[in-house]
Amino acid sequence: MASILLYASLLLAVLLPIPVLFGDFTAYQIGLYLIYGIAAQGIGFLWGKTGVLPLGQAIFFGVSAYAGAMSLRIADGLALQLAAAAGIVLLLSAAAFVLAFLIFRGRSESGPYFSLITLALAMIAEQIAGAATEFTGGFNGFSGFASLGGLDPFGNLYYIIAAAATGMSLLLFAINRLPANLIARAVADNEPRLQLLGFPTHTVKGLAFAFSAASAALAGILFASHQGIVTPTSTGFALSAELVILTAIGGRFHVLGPLIGAIVVGWASAELRFNFPYWELLMAAAFIVVVLKAPGGIAELLEKSIQRISPDLPIEESDRTGAPMPKGRRIVGSLEFENVHLMVGVVRILNGVSFATPDTGIISIIGPNGAGKTSALNAITGHLRLSSGTIRLVGDRVNSRPPWKALESGIGRKLQVPSVFNSLSIAENIAISMLADRASWADYLRTDAFNWRSEELSRVLNRQGVPLKNSNEKQAGKLPQGHRQFLEFALAIASKPSLLLLDEPCAGLSPEETALMTSLVREFQENSGSLVIVIEHDMSIVEATSDKVLVLNHGEAIAFDSYEAVRNDPEVVAVYAGGTK
Amino acid sequence: MTLLFEIKDLTGGYSGTNVVFDVSAKIDRGGILGVFGRNGVGKSTLARLANGGLPPSGGQILLDGDRIEELPAFMRRELGIGFMPQESLVFDNLSVRENLYIGTIGESPGLYFDRFPVLARRLDQIAGAMSGGERKILSFVRSMIEDTRLVILDEPSEGVQSENINLMATCLKERAAKGAGIMIFEQNLGFLASVADHFLGLDAGRAVYSEPSSNSSETEIRAILAL
Amino acid sequence: MSFALILNLVWHVGTLALIALGLAIVFGKLRILNMAHGEFVMIGAYSPVITSSMGLPGWLQLPVCLLTVGLVALAVERTVVCRLYGRMFDSLLATWGISILLREAVELIFGRGYQSVSLPIPGTVQIFGTSYPAYRIAIIGCIALGFAILAWWNSRSMVATRIKAMVENPGLAQAVGINTGRLSAWAFVFGCCTAGLAGLALAPTIRVEPMMGLDYLIKSFFALVVGGLGTLEGLGLGAGIIAGTQSLVGAALNQTYGYLAVLSLSILFLWLKPDGIHSALR
Repeated sequence: MASILLYASLLLAVLLPIPVLFGDFTAYQIGLYLIYGIAAQGIGFLWGKTGVLPLGQAIFFGVSAYAGAMSLRIADGLALQLAAAAGIVLLLSAAAFVLAFLIFRGRSESGPYFSLITLALAMIAEQIAGAATEFTGGFNGFSGFASLGGLDPFGNLYYIIAAAATGMSLLLFAINRLPANLIARAVADNEPRLQLLGFPTHTVKGLAFAFSAASAALAGILFASHQGIVTPTSTGFALSAELVILTAIGGRFHVLGPLIGAIVVGWASAELRFNFPYWELLMAAAFIVVVLKAPGGIAELLEKSIQRISPDLPIEESDRTGAPMPKGRRIVGSLEFENVHLMVGVVRILNGVSFATPDTGIISIIGPNGAGKTSALNAITGHLRLSSGTIRLVGDRVNSRPPWKALESGIGRKLQVPSVFNSLSIAENIAISMLADRASWADYLRTDAFNWRSEELSRVLNRQGVPLKNSNEKQAGKLPQGHRQFLEFALAIASKPSLLLLDEPCAGLSPEETALMTSLVREFQENSGSLVIVIEHDMSIVEATSDKVLVLNHGEAIAFDSYEAVRNDPEVVAVYAGGTK
Repeated sequence: MTLLFEIKDLTGGYSGTNVVFDVSAKIDRGGILGVFGRNGVGKSTLARLANGGLPPSGGQILLDGDRIEELPAFMRRELGIGFMPQESLVFDNLSVRENLYIGTIGESPGLYFDRFPVLARRLDQIAGAMSGGERKILSFVRSMIEDTRLVILDEPSEGVQSENINLMATCLKERAAKGAGIMIFEQNLGFLASVADHFLGLDAGRAVYSEPSSNSSETEIRAILAL
Repeated sequence: MSFALILNLVWHVGTLALIALGLAIVFGKLRILNMAHGEFVMIGAYSPVITSSMGLPGWLQLPVCLLTVGLVALAVERTVVCRLYGRMFDSLLATWGISILLREAVELIFGRGYQSVSLPIPGTVQIFGTSYPAYRIAIIGCIALGFAILAWWNSRSMVATRIKAMVENPGLAQAVGINTGRLSAWAFVFGCCTAGLAGLALAPTIRVEPMMGLDYLIKSFFALVVGGLGTLEGLGLGAGIIAGTQSLVGAALNQTYGYLAVLSLSILFLWLKPDGIHSALR
C-alpha cells in the first residue's frame, strides 16, 4: 500500500506544479493530453490484461462528452453536475458490459471480431453525431455550455483533470495487486483452462470492458468542459485509433504507460507540427518502431523506475491461511451415461454409450485410438454437445451446459495436452486454481486470497519428487511437457472436485514420474473419496489403480467391469491388447 | 554401414539459455538411435536442435559429411531430415490427406493405410477432429512416407495404444532397413528397446550414457531415469 | 430497375471483390490485419499519374502499377510485416503506422490535391438497349476472367494449403520443408498487388488523392466479414452484399443511411455469424 501512495504522490508532485512552472497555456495543453491519457489507461487495462483490443473507445468518450455537455447546459450547481456525470459514466459502462457479455458469451477466445464490432460502432456513432443536427449541432459541434462547476479551462479545471488522472492511476495500481488482476490476465493467457476452473470468462471480459468504458466516459466528461465544444470527431474512428496508439506507445502493461504515451505523443506533435513539415511521417515511423521493437512501449523501457504489472508471488509454504470451502456442489456419486450419441461434423463419435459408474473409486477408460475416450470427457464438461442422450452426475443432468459450469457441479478436469497458464508463474497458476469455485466477489479484492492453500493441493506440492516447488522457471509455459502434466493435475484437484477427469495424466512421463503421478491420483481418491475417471493406455497403471475399467471401441462401450474380467473378455482382447511402458 | 548423421559437441537452448551441453552422437544408414532421459533434461531441445527448429549456440551437425548446423529447418528438410514433433504435431485445420502430402513424398502411403486404417477412413476430414492418439499416428505416418534420409521423432508413442506402438516399431525397422537413419526420443522403454540399436541417455542436458543395444543393461538405464 | 443500374452494381461489386481478394489473402490467410490495404489501392490508382508525369506511353500503366505496388509491398513485408506473423493485434498497429507513412509519402511527392486520370478506353457501348461506358465493361470482363483463372488455379495448386499450414503451425511447416519466409512474402505481395490493380482500374472513375484508401479498406474488411474468410464464392457474396446494400440503400434514401446499413449489417455478422454468410448457408 505504501508504494502505491508513493507513486501517486510522485505523480501529483509532477503534475501539480505545471501551471506555476510553465504557465497556464502549457497546463491547458497538458490537461488535454491527460484527458486522452485517462481514456488510454482504460484501454491499457483491457488490452494489456485480458488481451481484448477495443477499437472504438471514442464511442464512450464522445457519447459521454455530448451527454456531459448537454447536462452542463441544463444542470445548475456543482452537485447536480457531478451527479449527472456519475450517472453518464455508470450508464455507459453498464452498456459496455452488456455489449461485451453478449458478444463473448459462448466463446472461448477474443479474436479480432470484438475489435471490429467496436470499430463499426464508433463509425456508426460518428455518422449519427454528424447527421442528427438538431441534437448534436452536426458538424459545427455542440457548444454553448459552461464548464464543470464554472471552472476556467485555462485555470483551475487543470487541477480537476490532474486529480482525475491521479485517482485513476491509484485505482489501477490498487487493482494490480488484487486477485481480480490475476484472473483478468489469465483470460488473455488461456481462456479454455480458466473456464474449466469455473470462471465465466465472458463476465470477466465484460467487467474489464465496462471498466475501460468508464475511464473513456470520465475522460469524455472532462473533455467537454475542457474544450467547450463537442464535435462528431470526438466519437469517431480516428480518435479511437489515436487512443490505441497512445496506449501502445506509452505501454499497455503499465499503469502509467498510457498517460506517458499521451503526454509524449501530444507534446511531440504539438512541437513538431509547426517546426517540421514531415512530422507525421516521423510519428508514424516512430510508432512502427515501438510496435516492432518495444511492444511494452515507453513504460517498459523505463521499467526499472516503474512498477511492473505483476508483483511476484512467493511459492514457499509459510504462512498459508485457510481457504473457504468450494461453493459448488461436492456430492460424490455415480456418473451415468444414458444412450449418449455424439457427432462432430459428419463423424459419429459416440454411438449410444450407456453405463453407470459406482459412487466412488477410480474408473479407467481404455480403448483403441479414436474410440471416443476424450470425446466422452468433452461431453461431460460441455465442450461437445450431445446429439441425443443424457449424462447425469448424482442424478442431475450435466450435459449441454457451458464448460465453465462444470466445476460448479463438482467436475474437475485435466486435459490431454497439458493446458496451464503459460505466461504466468507456477505460483500464479496455483493461486488461480485456489480462487476457483471458492472466491466470493469480495475475495477478488483482497490480497490474502493469494495465500490460500487446500489440503489436496499442499499434499501434491509438498510431495517428494513433484517438479514444481523448486522450479526456477518464471513462466509455466517454459516447463517441459511432463512437468506441465503435474502442474495441470495440481490445478485440477485444488478445488477438491467430486468427479475428477484425467486425460492421459502419465503421457510423456518417465517410468518413475509415472509411478509418482499414479500414486498422487490414488492418494487424491483415497483422501477425498471422490470418483476419478482416468484415460490411460498403460495397462500396468490401469491394473494398479482401477476399481473398474470401461472399454470403448468405435464409440460404443463394449465392456465395463473389473480389470481381470475385462482382460479376459474375448471381445476386448480382439480390439485392444494394451501394453506397458 | 556408413555414417549418415553426426552431431559433435552440440550446445543450445532457448533465447540465450542453454539447455543442451556438448552432446555428441552418430547415426549410421539403417541405424536407429534411441534417446532417453527424464522430463526436463533437454530431450525435446536436442530434437529441435537436430531438426533445425532451434539454432545451436555451439558444436556441429553433419549430414553425409556436410555441415548443416547453420541451416534453417526447411533447408534441412530439403536435404533429407524429417521431423515428428512432440506437440502441435499435425496441421489441425488441414485434412488428413493434406497433412500427408504437404511435404514431398518418397513412397505411397498405401502400406500405412493397411496398418493404420483410421487414416484411410478419415482421409478427407480435418486432422483437428481426430483424437490425440490418431494425430500421433498421422504425424508418424507423414514422417515415414516423406523422402527423407533421416527421421527424427519426438515421443511418437505417447498416447498411442500398444497395438499401434508395435506397428510403429515395425514401420521404423522397415524404414531403417531401406537405408534411412532414425533418431527417436522416447519415454516408453519397451518400445525404445524393441527398435533402437544404440542408446543415448541424457541428464541435465548432457550425454551420460552411450552404448550399443547389445551392450546395454536395463538396470543402468533405469538408474539414469530414476528421480 | 434500369439495366444501367444493374451494370453499375456489377461494377461496384467486381472492383470491391478484387480489393477484398487481396485482403482475404493477407488477413484471411496470413492473419495480418493490414490497415494499409487501402493505401495499396491508392498507390495503384496513382500509377497512371506516375506514367504520365514521366511521359511514358499509356500501355505501361499496368506494368508500372504492378512494379510500384509490388516493390512497396515487398519492402513493407521484409522490414515490418515479416515480424508480425502470429501477432494479429500488433500487425494492426504497425500497418496502421504504415498506412500513415504511405499516405504522407504520396502527399509529399504528388501533393494533397485531386489527380484526374483520363479514360484509356473512351466512349460507350450498347448493351440491351442501354449505353454504358466501354471502359467499365472491359474492366468487368477482365475481373471476371481473372477470378475464373484464379478459381481454376486454386483448385489444383497446393499453395493455398501450404499458406494455411504455415500460418497455423509455422514450426511444423518449416519441418515439412516450407520456406515460410519466402511463401509469406509472396502471398503478401500478391495480396497487395490485387489491391493495386483495383486501384488502377478505378483511377479514371474516381478522384485520386492520398486519403482515398480508408474507405476501400473498410468496405473490403466488411465484405470479408460478411462473406467469410474461407472461399472465393464467399468473397463474391460478401462483396455483393456490401456493395449492393450501400448502392441500393444509398440510392433509395441517402449515402449516410447506405453507410449505416453496411455498418449495422457487418456488426450483426461479426456478432452472430463470425464465419460469414457461407457458413450460415451450409
